[in-house]
Amino acid sequence: MAQLRALIAEDETILSLTLIKHLEKLWPELRICGVVENGVAAVQEALAQLPDILFLDIKMPGKTGLEVAQELAEEWPDDKPFPLIVFVTAYDDYAIDAFEHAASDYVLKPVSEERLSKTVKRFQTRLDDGQERSGELERVVAQLRNLMPGVGTLGYANQAGVTQASVASGDAKTTEKLTIIRAAVGNQIRMIRIDDVLCFEATDKYINVVTAEHSSLIRVSLRELLPQLDSNQFWQIHRSTVVNSQCIHSAHRDESGKLSLKLIDRDEKLAVSRVYAHLFRQM
Amino acid sequence: MLTLIFPRAGHKINLLRSVAILIFVNTLIAVFLTYVVSINAPFQTIWVFSIIIGTCISILIDGLRWLIWRTNKPNRLAFLLVCAAAAPVGYYIGVTISMLIYGIPIPNLGGFITRSDRAMVIMSVFFSLISGVFFWNQSKLAEFKAEAEKEKARHAAIERQAIQAELQLLQAQIEPHMLFNTLANLQGLIAIDTERAQYMLEQLILYLRASLSSSRTDKTTLKQEFALMHAYLELLAIRMGKRLTYQIDLPKELQSLQVAPMLLQPLVENAIKHGVEPKMEGGHIHVSATMDNHVLHLKVIDTGMGLPSNYKDPIAIQAQVNELQNDSVDGNIQHVGNENIRDRLFALYGASASLTLSPNQPEGAIAHLTIPLQG
Repeated sequence: MAQLRALIAEDETILSLTLIKHLEKLWPELRICGVVENGVAAVQEALAQLPDILFLDIKMPGKTGLEVAQELAEEWPDDKPFPLIVFVTAYDDYAIDAFEHAASDYVLKPVSEERLSKTVKRFQTRLDDGQERSGELERVVAQLRNLMPGVGTLGYANQAGVTQASVASGDAKTTEKLTIIRAAVGNQIRMIRIDDVLCFEATDKYINVVTAEHSSLIRVSLRELLPQLDSNQFWQIHRSTVVNSQCIHSAHRDESGKLSLKLIDRDEKLAVSRVYAHLFRQM
Repeated sequence: MLTLIFPRAGHKINLLRSVAILIFVNTLIAVFLTYVVSINAPFQTIWVFSIIIGTCISILIDGLRWLIWRTNKPNRLAFLLVCAAAAPVGYYIGVTISMLIYGIPIPNLGGFITRSDRAMVIMSVFFSLISGVFFWNQSKLAEFKAEAEKEKARHAAIERQAIQAELQLLQAQIEPHMLFNTLANLQGLIAIDTERAQYMLEQLILYLRASLSSSRTDKTTLKQEFALMHAYLELLAIRMGKRLTYQIDLPKELQSLQVAPMLLQPLVENAIKHGVEPKMEGGHIHVSATMDNHVLHLKVIDTGMGLPSNYKDPIAIQAQVNELQNDSVDGNIQHVGNENIRDRLFALYGASASLTLSPNQPEGAIAHLTIPLQG
């Protein structure tokens, strides 16, 4: 077996240096193939290097550790084994409960060597046993489902939603559901009834609101929008797609196992990511 | 005696107490009539007459009071007039009842009002008035007591709120997240770079000491507040490395200026938490104080993520209650944290103090606090 490689995603340099020091001692055979300081770089580097182990800080600029894991679960090449993921999180009661609940591997900051050595031992046995490794992706996907009810309740939960103008506010008031989407089109504001929306497609800073007649851009992020949608009606099927469940015609699986949706009276297909595939199992 | 049976505003009916007072007062009257006026009758008889007459007058007064004012507070003069008017009527009824009890034939009304009786009627009016004044003062006293009690409760509530606010302040200042992150860095640094670890520990001590002392006073100096911010930003700069740079400007002449504590810190925290920290390339924070025309300007300027796209109101939002309400009605934006700051500003300095948030050019946000200061 080739040398095991680990990628560390941690925005605070001192902490990544500390982690490396601990790992050198606990797992000398492990090679650190890279250290990145934000979520975007974490996804890029992970997909470029395809490491065996990933240390993901939960609270990072760019993307949270959970979002990185989700994106990797969607983008990871099929023929390569999915990495073992350790989430690294700071003191935060709720997050710890969630991690325990999802039975995911996590270490707390400040990192205790004892705790880290337990994780290392567990990983070592799992890596020895090739069988386990093949189920890693499913394991992480299942964890993410537990950790991300809706999207992102950890780390920078409301990174975009909660900002300087809305300090730690959100949660209480987000229950109010949107009934009308107001989208600026040229000089006019298009009023779109929420029931008319087929799906929302997120791009970098915008969301494309697709109806049967037209599509319009609104300047919010999916993270801001999601809490304002009725989760029974609108299902997230991909990190950048939310679909009106009333408009789904059928789900199809292609030869390679990828799942996609066909909407009623529409030709195009919407990709369903592994993370959300469980929504389309038969009853 | 005046609250015999009919309810009165703000008072519970204490029948037993009323009866006791009634008996006591009328016994005194009986003693007075027997031994001072020397009416030619045994004390026992006079006592029974007194009690019955007194009871009749009381019931009359009380009944009239209830008929006229219900449970409202009576007009003082009118009430005394009622007392005076009720006395002769009550006296007549009382005497009649007493005579019936003792089997004395009741004379007709004309013969009834004899000379001696006239004196007795006048006396009853007199006693009735005295009782009226006495009870009026009694109830006045009770009112004062109730008022004082209320005031006390209000004070207690205010005090409780103040303590709660202080605790929240303390919690807000040293949030566990910040503490644990700092400790995590310290733990790492001890092994990597002891000298920097030592320095970081010093900053942490400075920060903790300054936080604690500023949370315990309601006035602090700008120097103290800026020292606190310096320690805070230094701690974060060690953690965030190249991603955070900062600058602090406090003119010498403003150093000893007195301000309320914890006005600046939440703004700097927000600039870090929602501005620079989530931004991949990091940013710069500039904290400054200036004085212009007796108005203190505190500014926290960052080059971070900037205000959210749905932050529609970059124009000054004054620390005024009605505008705050407008804000929350506005829906889309909920600035709870800033509302807290505005509430505090309003409580401390009135409506003329303000907090505004505006976009910074080319990126980031500006939090601008103005506090008018006299002299």
